[in-house]
Amino acid sequence: MSALQAYRHLMRAARIAFDGDTRTLTAAYESIRRGFRENQNLPANDPTIAPAIAHAEEVASFLRSNVVQGRKEGETYKLRIHKDTERGDNDTIKLGNKNIKIGGEHKCCSA
Amino acid sequence: MFRTAALTAARRVARPAVASAVRVAGVARPVPKVAAFQAVRFYSAGGHLHKDEVFSRIAQVLSGFDKVNDPKNITETAHFANDLGLDSLDTVEVVMAIEEEFSIEIPDKDADQIHSVDKAVEYILSQPDAN
Repeated sequence: MSALQAYRHLMRAARIAFDGDTRTLTAAYESIRRGFRENQNLPANDPTIAPAIAHAEEVASFLRSNVVQGRKEGETYKLRIHKDTERGDNDTIKLGNKNIKIGGEHKCCSA
Repeated sequence: MFRTAALTAARRVARPAVASAVRVAGVARPVPKVAAFQAVRFYSAGGHLHKDEVFSRIAQVLSGFDKVNDPKNITETAHFANDLGLDSLDTVEVVMAIEEEFSIEIPDKDADQIHSVDKAVEYILSQPDAN
């Protein structure tokens, strides 16, 4: 079941990351489908399955929190930062490579 | 187009009696207008979705899905895998398309249980947020 869940998470993440950008969204869906179809005939006990699922989940979380859409407005770009976008600052860099969410486990600044 | 019609209808109803009386004079019968006014759904309408409507919208989603083996197989009790020839990955996509159609998000554990049209209809009807 977890492959299906990874598939769903990935599809959802793509929908969030590329919202309103039909061309990229379709391409992302297509590439997700292709990736899963390539491995659909692997036997259930194949050792490459678990890493493949982990990879899919990582891509999903990357798309969700580390991709930001921008639209050029005159000289500047307007970014669409949504609730899942990872937001850090100079202090959170010192915490190392951990997942940082505002209001999450690792408080930053004066919090 | 519906929105414009609804706005016009609402404005007409909201207008003071005098103004509408003048307006009615120019129109043969005000009855069709009232009917049109009620035919439009509003956010405040309060009514829940009806089973038939939910089914027809799900059927529409499915008929737009090119992997369904035959549109004739889309019935109220059709099973995604056994009757419509969809595999498990397709089922995930169908469930996501249904989510989008009714503007809700189905949690993983519930989404994994939806394998047939009647299950989907049942789930949508149990969701007060679905519209």
